Amino acid sequence: MSMTLKRIVVVGNGIAGLTAADSLRAAGFDGDLTIVGDEPHAPYSRPALSKAALLDADDMTSHQLPPSTHEAQEVRGVSASGLDADRKVVHLDDGSGLPYDAVVIATGSRARLLGTGPKTEGNAGRCDGELTLRNLEDALTLRRRLTNRPSVVVIGGGALGMEIASGCLSAGCEVTLVAHDRPLTRQLGPYLSGAFLAAARRHGLKLAPSHAVELRSTGGRTADGRPLVVLADGSTIEAELVVSAVGDAPNVEWLASSGLLTNGRLEVDARGRVRPGIIAAGDVAAFPTKHGIQRVPLWTSAIEQSKAAALALVRGDEAPELDFQPYFWTEQFGLSLKASGFLPLAGAPEFLEGDPAGGPALMRWSHDDGSGTAVAINKRIPIPKLRRLSDTAPLVASPTA
Amino acid sequence: MKIVLDRPRCEGHGLCEDVAPQLMHLDEEGELVLDIETVDNDVEPAKAAVRVCPVAALRLA
Repeated sequence: MSMTLKRIVVVGNGIAGLTAADSLRAAGFDGDLTIVGDEPHAPYSRPALSKAALLDADDMTSHQLPPSTHEAQEVRGVSASGLDADRKVVHLDDGSGLPYDAVVIATGSRARLLGTGPKTEGNAGRCDGELTLRNLEDALTLRRRLTNRPSVVVIGGGALGMEIASGCLSAGCEVTLVAHDRPLTRQLGPYLSGAFLAAARRHGLKLAPSHAVELRSTGGRTADGRPLVVLADGSTIEAELVVSAVGDAPNVEWLASSGLLTNGRLEVDARGRVRPGIIAAGDVAAFPTKHGIQRVPLWTSAIEQSKAAALALVRGDEAPELDFQPYFWTEQFGLSLKASGFLPLAGAPEFLEGDPAGGPALMRWSHDDGSGTAVAINKRIPIPKLRRLSDTAPLVASPTA
Repeated sequence: MKIVLDRPRCEGHGLCEDVAPQLMHLDEEGELVLDIETVDNDVEPAKAAVRVCPVAALRLA
């Protein structure tokens, strides 16, 4: 370990920051560790917010993580406002600064907003009535609003939008989903998209025929004050509740004058390093994958990135490069999907268990490069086994460029 | 140190087995089995398993 590494500051108190802190300790760093983050809570499981936390009427503990063991000083509810890489100081929005020998950037991402409406306090950039689901407060707000069983329009056909729609249906709401494309097609591919859409329709999801959507901020309400969703063709859908899930934006603005951004992105190398003494991990970071340098804002991605980067901060080039193995899961409309390997998937799968008619199934897609993606639906399967199935080389192995 | 499993919370993701195969595994039914509950030597894998669970079904006591 470098003898000069005595103070490490972790910026961001989500799962990436937490994992980085744990991993730094595991790698032998026993100096001063400070975690600063804008969330007022202890780190929690974000994936649970759109799944069990939306559904369980009484149990609001599904997102809670066990207490940490890293013995870091934690500063919660404070945002970082800047980073001075020359002086090695993280500036906080309360005017103070945290000097460091090394810094971990794990500020995550936030929900993209449709809104271009008036920026009022607590409603920055949101359209009137637009809810999102990103943090614990969002989840609590959504739960509270669902108790009155409002009619809901969900905007966004990704996994999050579909999970929210599923949760709202389970709460007894009438739900219409608005999406640019066929839901989940861009994320999972046409085959699985079809399976999920069929399940969604069986559960009563309505799909709005739309190619683009605009949520009006002013004048977009019915006579009794309901928000109106305006579609590209000028038609409107009224709803008592509008929830958007149209992607996330990395929290990099505080780094604007740090010199660390490349074309607005925070890019890291295969060991999570931005430059010596500065690592980044989680939803904020774009890292090398076999499909190029990209952000992969998923739970296991954040954990794997953080572990690799923390080790590299302590051990340098001796630390292994990140061997990113995508793992994705979703639960919606009575279907539970686990996928190991890259998505989306073209064409139809080979069925290892089950069949296309429905029910529990284990499927595999083979890719041109010899790798594969294994998918389990409504089937509990150890992830190592799923990974092995995705890795298994196809019978006819002919490497293609 | 003891690994404690909150069985009703476990959704069978198996990410814990991925990081600590020496301590636990999912059986043929997809139920998590703790092969070693009391950890004195494998504390780091145990911590990693607890941390990676997205539904916090594991904790250390």
